[in-house]
Amino acid sequence: MTLTDHLVRGLKAGAVAGGAYGLFVALIGNPLIRYAETFEHSHSGGGPVVPRAVTALISTAGGVFLGILFGVVVIGALYYFLEPAIPGTDGTKSYLLGAAGFVTVSGAPWLAIPPQPPGVEQALGVETRILWYLLMATVGAFACGLSGYVYTRLRPRYGQAPAGLGAGLVFLSIPVVATIAPANPVSGSLPAELAFVIQAVTGLGQVGLWFVLASAHAWLLRRDRDEERTGYGRVDHRDPTEPLGVDP
Amino acid sequence: MTATTDTTRDRIDDALVRLTPAQVTIAVLTIAALGFVLLFAQEPMVHDSLHTFRHAAGITCH
Repeated sequence: MTLTDHLVRGLKAGAVAGGAYGLFVALIGNPLIRYAETFEHSHSGGGPVVPRAVTALISTAGGVFLGILFGVVVIGALYYFLEPAIPGTDGTKSYLLGAAGFVTVSGAPWLAIPPQPPGVEQALGVETRILWYLLMATVGAFACGLSGYVYTRLRPRYGQAPAGLGAGLVFLSIPVVATIAPANPVSGSLPAELAFVIQAVTGLGQVGLWFVLASAHAWLLRRDRDEERTGYGRVDHRDPTEPLGVDP
Repeated sequence: MTATTDTTRDRIDDALVRLTPAQVTIAVLTIAALGFVLLFAQEPMVHDSLHTFRHAAGITCH
C-alpha cells in the first residue's frame, strides 16, 4: 500500500469522524456555548461582527473540517509513516494513534491551558496561551513517541505488563511540564457548575472525535487489507491485449 | 504495486522517491495555513464565525 492509499483512507475516516463531530457541534456545542454567552457581560468590545446563524453554520463546518484535517494528517499521513513503529496489531494501532492524537492536540495542552467557556476572563493573553498550547502539544507528542519506544524496547526483555507500565510512566512527564506553565487565574460571571459542564462536554467531544476516527480507520484498514489479500473487490481495468507498460 | 516496507525509515524513503520537494512543501504549507485559520486566526470575521466551534473544541482563542 502506498502513501496515496493511506491518505485516501485517512480522508474517508476523517469524513466519518468530521460528520460525527459536525453533528456534535451543531446539536450540542452551538446551543451550549450560545447559552453560556447569555451570562457574558461584554464580549471583545462591541459584540460579534457576523450574524449568529453564520457563526452556527461556519462553526459546524469547522467541526466537519477538523475531523477531515485530523483524518488526512494524523490517521492518513502519520499512520503511513509510523505504522511499523506503533506497537500492536492493525486494529489496536489505529486506536493507539488516535489516543496519541488526543493527548497531543487536547489532553496535554489542556493541563496548562484548560478549555474555557465564553464569559470567563483569563489572566494570560491570547499569544501567551497559544504559545503554551503549542508547547504542551509538542510535549504531548514527544511523550507519546517516547512511550511507544519504551514499550517496544522493554517488551521482549520483561514482557507485556512491565513494558506497558514503563510506557505509562512516561506520560507523567506531561503534568510535570505543565506545572512550569504560568498561572492563568480566571474570573467571570459564568456559574462554576455550567463552566464545569461545558469543560466536560468539550472533553467528551474531543475523545469522541478521536474514537470515531480511530474506529472508522481500523474498519477501513481491515477491509482494504482483506481485499488486498484475497483480490476481492479489485477490478483490473487494463486492456489485456495491450502490452504491459509502466504505471503512470 | 506492493512495496515491501517494514520500518518508518523505509516508508519515508519510499515517500521521498514518489514525491517531489515541491509537492511536500505545498502540502505542508496548505495544511498549516488551513489549520491556522481554523484554530488560531484572530481576525474578527474569522474569529466570530468560528467562535462556538473553537469553544466547543476547547481551543484557546480570545
